[in-house]
Amino acid sequence: MKLQHYLGGLEGLGPVDFEKRVFVEEWEKRIFGIHVAMMGLSTHLSLPATSSTFKSKWTWADLRTGAEGMNPFDYFKFRYYEKWLGGISSHFIASGYITEDELSRETANVLNGEYTQASGGDTAIDERIEKYLVTGDSARQPAAITPRFAAGDRVVVKNPPATEHTRLPGFLRCKTGIVETVYDGAYSYFCSTGDGIGPAMPVYCVKFEPDELWGKIAEPGFAIYADLFDAYLSPRAA
Amino acid sequence: MTERFNYPPNREALSAARAKALETLLIKKGVITAETVDKVLGFFETKMGPFNGAKLVARAWVDPAFKVRLIADTPAAIAELDFPEGMAGAEGEYMKAVANAPGVHNLVICTLCSCYPWPVLGLPPYWYKDPSFRARAAREPRKILGEFGLALGAATEIKVWDSSAQIRWFVIPERPAGTEHMTEEQLAGLVTPESMMGVAVANAA
Repeated sequence: MKLQHYLGGLEGLGPVDFEKRVFVEEWEKRIFGIHVAMMGLSTHLSLPATSSTFKSKWTWADLRTGAEGMNPFDYFKFRYYEKWLGGISSHFIASGYITEDELSRETANVLNGEYTQASGGDTAIDERIEKYLVTGDSARQPAAITPRFAAGDRVVVKNPPATEHTRLPGFLRCKTGIVETVYDGAYSYFCSTGDGIGPAMPVYCVKFEPDELWGKIAEPGFAIYADLFDAYLSPRAA
Repeated sequence: MTERFNYPPNREALSAARAKALETLLIKKGVITAETVDKVLGFFETKMGPFNGAKLVARAWVDPAFKVRLIADTPAAIAELDFPEGMAGAEGEYMKAVANAPGVHNLVICTLCSCYPWPVLGLPPYWYKDPSFRARAAREPRKILGEFGLALGAATEIKVWDSSAQIRWFVIPERPAGTEHMTEEQLAGLVTPESMMGVAVANAA
């Protein structure tokens, strides 16, 4: 099991840091912008080709896989955008766009004040990235698949072995819930995770009662509504 | 052993330099342009941000029929208003609105990562991504809301929406009392990102 898959319900973490800012350091904005650019230039999108040398498929799944693969101590140690900086730098190095040496040298240059601003670039690259932001990356397919479940059905969440990336929150494994909503159409995922999602399938909103999730320690008077892919659900034996 | 728990003394300077170095190399190698990052950030400052959500909520407050449509078919209702292009764009491909009402309070969380409805709310603030929030909101939402300064009575049911598939949720808070005289634009000024995620309510002043 991976701790990052089981954050929901984890005890002992203490007070929430009610920090309302999106970025707490200026540099965080830069890595956010680079990530959005990568998503907009990703090879899987049906957007106009540009002269960008970016030739990778890059989606949320890649960033999430990196975060889920971290040592859990590091996951808690590093701030949100510190994780992004690590994961994104690693991708550019592992895929041969840059070398670790180049990045270290350039970093040293910036720290020593010997850095020169890079300039220029093909404006079509930026146009494509904005086009991505405006059009998105829809995973919804026409509904050729009949949903297995209907609103009101009791379902049990499956317990597949951990994979490097999942969209199944650990705290819901083996729990029984009631289908609240069957969403229109079928939804693919960015990649095949190995635990069942990837190809287009129905998605449901499933309601879970607190005592089913947390037993006697449950706080009363609330319910969790989780959006779950079809592959993560089984019918509940009568 | 202690290395795991220590940060380098120049933690932020090092990250800042590394981010700058990475951006510079990517520009030099033709991956992105010198304008790319600023243009992305500008998009979120001017086009996709919480100001869009506030406009939607204010409209829902003054027009009950619009509120019904916003809940029933969120993208179609959003398309009725005069927004910039892209309201069904990145991280807004499938949005759904839920409304608070007397005795019902909604809270949006993402226990696996940081799913957030970009076109209506912009980018997620740090509290939303805080592992403590994500862990505890799934188990003790009433206690968490109390710590955020929102005391809900025991009779109020809390609906916690966990975004683990495709839907991006946002909350239509209740219109505060004493705002009958206010214009739609003034009402929008009362709607905070926190109230549209459910860790706060909208207040009259």
